[in-house]
Amino acid sequence: MRLVCLSCLIVTATLLGACLGGGKAPAGAGSASAPVVNTTAVTVDTGPAAATGAINHAYVSVRVCAPGSASSCTTIDHVLLDTGSWGLRVIRSVLAAGSVTLPAETDAQGQTIEECATFGSGQTWGPVATADVTIAGETAAKVPVQIMDDTGTGAAPPGTCGASGTLVNQVTDWQANGVLGIGVFAQDCGTACVAATTPLAQYYGCATGGACAAENVALPAQVTNPATLFTADNNGIIVSVPALQNANGDASVQGELIFGLGTQADNGLPPTALTLLGADANGDFATTFNGASSSLPALIDSGTDSYLFDDPGIPVCTSAAWVGFYCPPVAPLSLTAVNTSAAATTASVVGSGDTVTFAVGDPDTFVATATAFSELAGGGGSTSFTWGMPFFYGRKIYIGFDGQASGSFKGPFYAY
Amino acid sequence: MNRHLQRILILLAFGLSAGWALPAQAALGGGTDSVVADAAALHGASAVTALQTYDIFEIAAGDGARIREYATHAGVVFAVAWSGPVMPDLHILLGDNFAAYAGALATVDRPGLRRSLRLETAGLVVETGGHMRAYRGRAYLANRLPAGAAVSDLR
Repeated sequence: MRLVCLSCLIVTATLLGACLGGGKAPAGAGSASAPVVNTTAVTVDTGPAAATGAINHAYVSVRVCAPGSASSCTTIDHVLLDTGSWGLRVIRSVLAAGSVTLPAETDAQGQTIEECATFGSGQTWGPVATADVTIAGETAAKVPVQIMDDTGTGAAPPGTCGASGTLVNQVTDWQANGVLGIGVFAQDCGTACVAATTPLAQYYGCATGGACAAENVALPAQVTNPATLFTADNNGIIVSVPALQNANGDASVQGELIFGLGTQADNGLPPTALTLLGADANGDFATTFNGASSSLPALIDSGTDSYLFDDPGIPVCTSAAWVGFYCPPVAPLSLTAVNTSAAATTASVVGSGDTVTFAVGDPDTFVATATAFSELAGGGGSTSFTWGMPFFYGRKIYIGFDGQASGSFKGPFYAY
Repeated sequence: MNRHLQRILILLAFGLSAGWALPAQAALGGGTDSVVADAAALHGASAVTALQTYDIFEIAAGDGARIREYATHAGVVFAVAWSGPVMPDLHILLGDNFAAYAGALATVDRPGLRRSLRLETAGLVVETGGHMRAYRGRAYLANRLPAGAAVSDLR
């Protein structure tokens, strides 16, 4: 199920010219049947009807069906595209509005498996369920997904969930109807949650009407990045968003999410001028910011609305609208950082660094009604470097999934 | 090494847990003696580094989780730092300071989307960050750092 289509790779290698230009393979090349539609729209806009006012939120639509059903389905709009997490999470009331009920996973004792997953300073809580997930023409069957329980009708979260922050189960918490985590990994927890002596405070078995206790969960039952389970085009993704027309804010932006790397004519890795950064076991590469003596763990994260890094030299905004962001007195402020691989993907890309020059604008001069901003930065106190949504504008971002081959490269990696 | 530290080390050697189940008082602003009291209930590896003006207690679990507690030689914890596959329970790590943290957090818009967050209130600084599978953060009492301890050391 996970094998990359070999004939597609061979075709891709011999048609590099076509791939570079994004052109279509000549008639008769590749497999005999028409290729699966592997692209879907990505839209940066103000957000779902119930929670507008979003900034730098990239949204996709995801179709969710009860496993094996063609009728118990709903297409969910305004799902947050998140390359910094793994797994699909949908808000319970959104599923209910679509008249879809998904079967909950149960453990060996027949208890419902629920999950507490941390995002920023918040935690989601709700059952793990299975769904058939379709995006564009790609489908994955029986994907473990998390239902974020905004209605409080399921098991109550244990005291430790939401205890270190707040519960974030509402559409208003996310400014989205769900989150599509399609970053480098397949499972959201991985081996740490499989056989721990003391189970991690992430997955729980909840007795009917009773308490929930942390428990280990095997990999196939953990919440999983649906793109890794597609029957084809399952070795990575490309996010392609055009540059903004106005650095001070565009009203909306439309780009593309493309599934697969080197599996179809539209998703080849360019043979030259590509920065390819291998990620470590945490899913991070390394960024050395502003000539610092050491690097920071880094990732390319569409789920973060800004460049996020610590720089005590940049004043923070004082206006209520831009709390937490940087407001440089002279804008735009030009900064540089060097990205390097944290792990080998092939011998040829280890050690090389790519210098990125980026601009930080003054949010107080931004267009108040815009939703997309390419010069937004913040993150005082951060001990990592996050290339958030501003980095996506005007670029194609390639993400290679953990353990999956893309031509001569092997994930996990980020590339641009 | 003084006898105070020796006693703590011997009892820590009986094990420290993988489950972030720290005792209630081994918290920011609390004392290190409580680590001794609950050590028998925990499993894992531990280490203490004695520096000139403070000590670092490190608890490392098999799943990659790690907690560091920075304490004055008198045994008062002035900083905690964590990294690991799940977020630790800040009720436990922040102890009596949790209420101040929760109050500051309540003023933040959409906390779930703030993947890197710094909160400062009345001398308490809490910085949370990282992402799925690799959370990291620290909390410290800015007014209680002993001479010779820099914020950049707390990680």
